[in-house]
Amino acid sequence: MRLRSLMFGWEFPPVHSGGLGVACEGLVRGLQRNDVDVTLVLPHVSAKGAAHSDVISAAAATASGVVPVASLLRPYDDSFAFAARAGATPGGHLYGPDLAAAVAHYTVASVEASKEREADVIHSHDWMTYGAGAAAAQLRDAPLVAHIHATELDRTDGHPDPWIFGLEREGFIAADRIIAVSDYTKRLLTREYGIDPGKISVVHNGHDADPKPAEPATISRHPLVLFLGRLTVQKNPHQFVAVAKEIHAHQPDVQFVMAGAGPMQGELMQAACEAGLSRNMVFAGQVSKREADALYAAASCFVMPSLSEPFGLVALEAIAQGTPVVVSRQSGVSEVLDHAFKVDFWDTAMMADCILTILREKPLATQLKTEAPRLLQRLSWHNQARAVQAVYHSLLHPNHA
Amino acid sequence: MSNRVCFYFQVHQPYRLRDLRVTDIGAAEPDYFDDVNNRKIFRKVAEKCYLPANALLLQLIDADPEFRVSFSLSGVFLDQCQEYGRDVLKSFKALAKTGQVEFLGETDCHSLSALKSTAEFCAQVKAHSQKIHKHFGRVPKVFRNTELIYSNDLANQVRLLGFRGMLAEGVDRLLGDRHPGDPVVPPTFRLPRPVERTIAAGRSRPLPSRRFHVLLKHYRLSDDVAFRFSDKNWASHPLSAETFAGWVKESPGHGVNLFMDYETFGEHQWAESGIFDFLGALPAALKREGIASVTPSQSLLEWKGESDTYDAHEPISWADSERDLSAWQGNAIQQAALDNLYALEEAVLAANDEDLLSDWRRLQTSDHFYYMCTKYWADGDVHKYFSPYDSPYEAYRRFSHALCDLQARLARIPSSAL
Repeated sequence: MRLRSLMFGWEFPPVHSGGLGVACEGLVRGLQRNDVDVTLVLPHVSAKGAAHSDVISAAAATASGVVPVASLLRPYDDSFAFAARAGATPGGHLYGPDLAAAVAHYTVASVEASKEREADVIHSHDWMTYGAGAAAAQLRDAPLVAHIHATELDRTDGHPDPWIFGLEREGFIAADRIIAVSDYTKRLLTREYGIDPGKISVVHNGHDADPKPAEPATISRHPLVLFLGRLTVQKNPHQFVAVAKEIHAHQPDVQFVMAGAGPMQGELMQAACEAGLSRNMVFAGQVSKREADALYAAASCFVMPSLSEPFGLVALEAIAQGTPVVVSRQSGVSEVLDHAFKVDFWDTAMMADCILTILREKPLATQLKTEAPRLLQRLSWHNQARAVQAVYHSLLHPNHA
Repeated sequence: MSNRVCFYFQVHQPYRLRDLRVTDIGAAEPDYFDDVNNRKIFRKVAEKCYLPANALLLQLIDADPEFRVSFSLSGVFLDQCQEYGRDVLKSFKALAKTGQVEFLGETDCHSLSALKSTAEFCAQVKAHSQKIHKHFGRVPKVFRNTELIYSNDLANQVRLLGFRGMLAEGVDRLLGDRHPGDPVVPPTFRLPRPVERTIAAGRSRPLPSRRFHVLLKHYRLSDDVAFRFSDKNWASHPLSAETFAGWVKESPGHGVNLFMDYETFGEHQWAESGIFDFLGALPAALKREGIASVTPSQSLLEWKGESDTYDAHEPISWADSERDLSAWQGNAIQQAALDNLYALEEAVLAANDEDLLSDWRRLQTSDHFYYMCTKYWADGDVHKYFSPYDSPYEAYRRFSHALCDLQARLARIPSSAL
């Protein structure tokens, strides 16, 4: 008999490249192929807002069932971002005056909306859905899996909102099992949240390669170095500017593209100008998946300098396009990458040096291009979802383990 | 039934590269090697292996005038002895004085020059022979190439260089159903004229050897000591000298050739594993079985039988389970590093600058390429264990910067000087 998972997920269809939405979609797809029926509970904006039908159809195409719940919540929300959006959305106040109220509202509404759905296991992704997951699990006396893609500590450079930190910790404690996306995150949960490591399973994120390679974006005939991610503290975009400055001093023809949107965009533009990079750095803004792939394919090197990256799916996306990568050592993806440079996030000179070496040494670039993608065969969502399925199984049949 | 055993221990330390940066390229005073780390590692291995193992061997030799061992000390190891370990050099000299120890010939920089340049290979063999003579007062008669890399071609080159014999790995796929106990011969053939001329010019001895044999490593018995000795999951753990001597006795042929890294004693197998007790008890245990220990030269002199041909058409080595060259030239970065390094040969020699030549030669040490190996399955762990760097790519980054600097130095030499 197929297992039934009631999953409190995010972002259908995925908005952010390499983000929580991509991981949720990949996991659901992989679980369905591993004999697990997934019913997805998803926050979406009201009928008056955007993307309602898109959300439902994208989710329905992937999962066995969909439970849409009207809510303004989005992944990566903090209080400020939520308040700004709620203020700008007609009827936004209906879902609560602030983030706390919106989360409380979503918890009640989503549990209510999904209460008729039968499930063997409840699976929640990140803190905003942990409350709902815990209530749904209690309702059915089913085990709760808390999947952690990013903690408040990762997002805030160790300056958490104590309320969010508390909700995360409550979710970890309520869960029967925690799935962390890396050993890096597992260590963080143990060290900072005081969670028993025996309760945490590590399942690295996966990546399903597109059968068709992307057409490289035609930007420049010069070597191109790419950053792609939300422009937030966690992604350490200032480091990219600093690295670009060092590279520029050594090799002035190199072009830099900073792709992604976020609250730091203005200050980053200013920093780039101050670094003398106004002619060499392009801010591409938020990019679609197709645009992202074209950028990866055009880049001579992709850099992920994150301060604290639980996984770092963008690195796998770059690798899938045959792009050599330099990643922060403070990341989950560095645990699974063999054919890449791994550098401490603060080490500007070393990061620049690795990139310059890749740009100078053709055989090195070629080897990174050809060898790194082999990893993706192992890290397919089908394989990674099998590991999640095994976690389900161990919860439902503890004596078999 | 063997009544001979031949010990050969490889002693080598590379000059590891320091964390070179792009900004170091073109610097006024180039400095490629990590003096701090090289000294640290040398001292660590000296305390754990070289000094205690040499002291033990000296004791065993003093106690038994018939006990024999052989060493191959790489030239870069001897250079490091002068920088970091005069005490170590002294202890090897004390062993040499007993007359019961043979020193083998190799390439001065423990290089892969045999694969890349005959002229450079001959020059390094000559330099090494001179170094051994300088330190120990005798000239090597038997040759072992870097990491036991061996081929028919190479055996003929070594024969033309005047060596009496050579060591090689006893590789299953070449041996078939034969055993590695009897000395073998390479198929004899003429090398291309230019190669023969290069060798004749680079030979330090007057004549090629007419009698030339190859001793093959008994890898099972060698690995029992070198790799399995401290493995508690191994069925024969703990291994006693008596048991081991019994295995040697049972092995067929002229003799059992036990070839291994000297660092086996105290460094790869820690003192706590009992490896020194094992080594200390071994000569007496062998003697009780009627087994004599011999040097490679002795073993070859005492061989009166008919030798089989050992046909190594493709190069073999003692590395990894493949016993081929893939540990040093198995991927694109290794091949690029090697090609780019040897592409500078002519310019480096023409520059007539001793520092430049020395740096170029120390970059030839095989370890630099071994660290770039990406065969991360099966044997990968071994590469990781022996690498001082985080990754093969870090090894390449440092190496390629050094090479770029070397090129920059060559470019700075006015063409009139060449």
